Amino acid sequence: MNTLLRSLEARIILLFLLPAFLFVGGLFIYPVLKVLMISVSDPQPGLGNYMLLVENPALRRVFLTTIRIAVLTMLISVIIGYVLAYRMHMAGPVELRIIVFCLMFPLWTSVLVRAFSWVVLLQNNGLLNAWLIQIGLLDRPAALIRNELGVLIGMVHVMVPYATLPIYSAMRGIDPRLNQAARSLGATSWPAFWRIFFPLTLPGIGAAMILVFIISIGFYITPIVLGGGKVVMVAEYISVQITETLRWGLGTMLATTLLVVVLLFVFAFRKLTVLRQGGA
Amino acid sequence: MRRHLSDLESDILELQRATDGKTVSRRAFTAALAALGLSPAFVSLTSVNAKEPDLVLANWGGDSVKAMDTAYVQPFLAANPNESVKIDSSGPTNGKIKAMVDANRVIWDMCDRASQSSLELGPVGLLEEVDYSIVDKNKTLPGFANRWGVGNYSFANVLTFRTDAFGGRKPETWADFWNLKDFPGGRTLRRHTDSTLEAALMADGVPIDKIYPIDVKRAFAKVKQIKDRVTFWSSHADSYKLLRDGEATMGCLAHTRAVLLKRDTNGTVDFTFNQGIFWVSNWIVPKGNPGGKRVWKLIDATLNPESQIEMLKQMGNGPVNPAAVAMIPPELAQINPSSPENMKRMVITDPNWYAANAAATLNQFIDTVLS
Repeated sequence: MNTLLRSLEARIILLFLLPAFLFVGGLFIYPVLKVLMISVSDPQPGLGNYMLLVENPALRRVFLTTIRIAVLTMLISVIIGYVLAYRMHMAGPVELRIIVFCLMFPLWTSVLVRAFSWVVLLQNNGLLNAWLIQIGLLDRPAALIRNELGVLIGMVHVMVPYATLPIYSAMRGIDPRLNQAARSLGATSWPAFWRIFFPLTLPGIGAAMILVFIISIGFYITPIVLGGGKVVMVAEYISVQITETLRWGLGTMLATTLLVVVLLFVFAFRKLTVLRQGGA
Repeated sequence: MRRHLSDLESDILELQRATDGKTVSRRAFTAALAALGLSPAFVSLTSVNAKEPDLVLANWGGDSVKAMDTAYVQPFLAANPNESVKIDSSGPTNGKIKAMVDANRVIWDMCDRASQSSLELGPVGLLEEVDYSIVDKNKTLPGFANRWGVGNYSFANVLTFRTDAFGGRKPETWADFWNLKDFPGGRTLRRHTDSTLEAALMADGVPIDKIYPIDVKRAFAKVKQIKDRVTFWSSHADSYKLLRDGEATMGCLAHTRAVLLKRDTNGTVDFTFNQGIFWVSNWIVPKGNPGGKRVWKLIDATLNPESQIEMLKQMGNGPVNPAAVAMIPPELAQINPSSPENMKRMVITDPNWYAANAAATLNQFIDTVLS
């Protein structure tokens, strides 16, 4: 009776999941397959578009720029996110609410607005440069935007909440008595943190890294506004191929390659973290 | 991502506009579906509206929506009370036109596009051929009425500069623009090959009538010389801001923005048509446009002298109809690119060169100059 009920339940659950499957299948998997198809059929059938990755050093450079910026954004965001999450973890209820507000508020603001706000703050005659010159730290404005640094600043700003929240949630799941146990066994605060607390937050760090990297690799507006036109990331290059030059084969090949890079990254990272956890 | 969101947003707005909260027109509904990546074949609707579909004019948004409505649409409707016209400001890129025609779901009747687009899209079957039995060829500039496109207005990219940056000296040529010693400060160029390559060649000593065919290698090398001092602008607003805030002391800007800058800064920022790069925009009609032949009447009407001059008043975009150019009041002639005294100092761009070379050159530009 019990097993019968259970199998019935399983079927009903599957039925309820069906719309989600159809939704993902029709609106995500089908278009992705079409993109893949175009990449091997336009302008001629075959792998010619993919050969361009090998033959054309400029394409590789665009990819390398994209990956370099995404990795740097990921590392910086996760470090800032970890510190913030730790502060949130230790904070009282009022402070926590303030931090959460400050963290979430930018998330509800348009990426475009945020990028332009950085321009106002960081441009040559912007607030920061004016202030640094006034207090005598600089004698001429520093180039903080319209270069790769500007792109990094803008992207890290967007990504910090995405890094903080998974880490915070991992920290919240840690039993506070573990720390007390470590202290009672004679560990001072640093070893208690480093050997007990930190390893338990690793899954949170892993999740944060994956999330930030995946989103960063597809950035479009921020590099255009803050890069001064001289930082070309893959998303923009794809957009030029699709909307302007009509080289859809090239554009879809790059989109497919981007997807593969993301999947490889997720796969490698999961392997890595599973191994680490297994070894711990 | 944001681009798609704004598409969706414009479709929703369009949907609201089309319905006034009542019935949903098939076209608006189809547009919303298309934005969601759905084929309307999934949804079968019986015709809710037996009347002819609205003519849809696709442009690039901003002030041009109101300007085109005043200059083109209202006079046309006054003369043709049975017609109805809508403006879609979501930006008719080559990509969107191709996607619509390939999917056999065209929602635009006429698109405002750079002149080379007609020669890029026409030969590959994405455009209707212009019906010159309805559109009067003599109402546009010679050389800007081809098989698939008709010139509708002119604009120019011009040398724009701050008058307070060079101790009273005024830059006159692109050679001055490249001369960082006598004219210090940041520079800004369009983040595109259009106009940037022409400016570079003039700076390198090529006379205005010898620019085409463009020596791409030579132009790239010239841009690279000053690349470190150049911010490449992508939006007109960006170019405006760079000059106004003094982050750039010289730039290559659309003349419409240069006029605004001059006005808004009381002349602190100025510009010259000398060695400007003269462009003509085109009307093109995507293959299988919903309004069919009716669109040619509207296109012909936009070339009427009154409409052309109204466009100059509204946007600063120059008339292409020679009859209209002759009627321009003198105070507007100074800021009009197509007035003979301005036009003769500029490079007249060659759409044929761009149609043949734009795609490859743009990619090389991004590959080798920007990155």
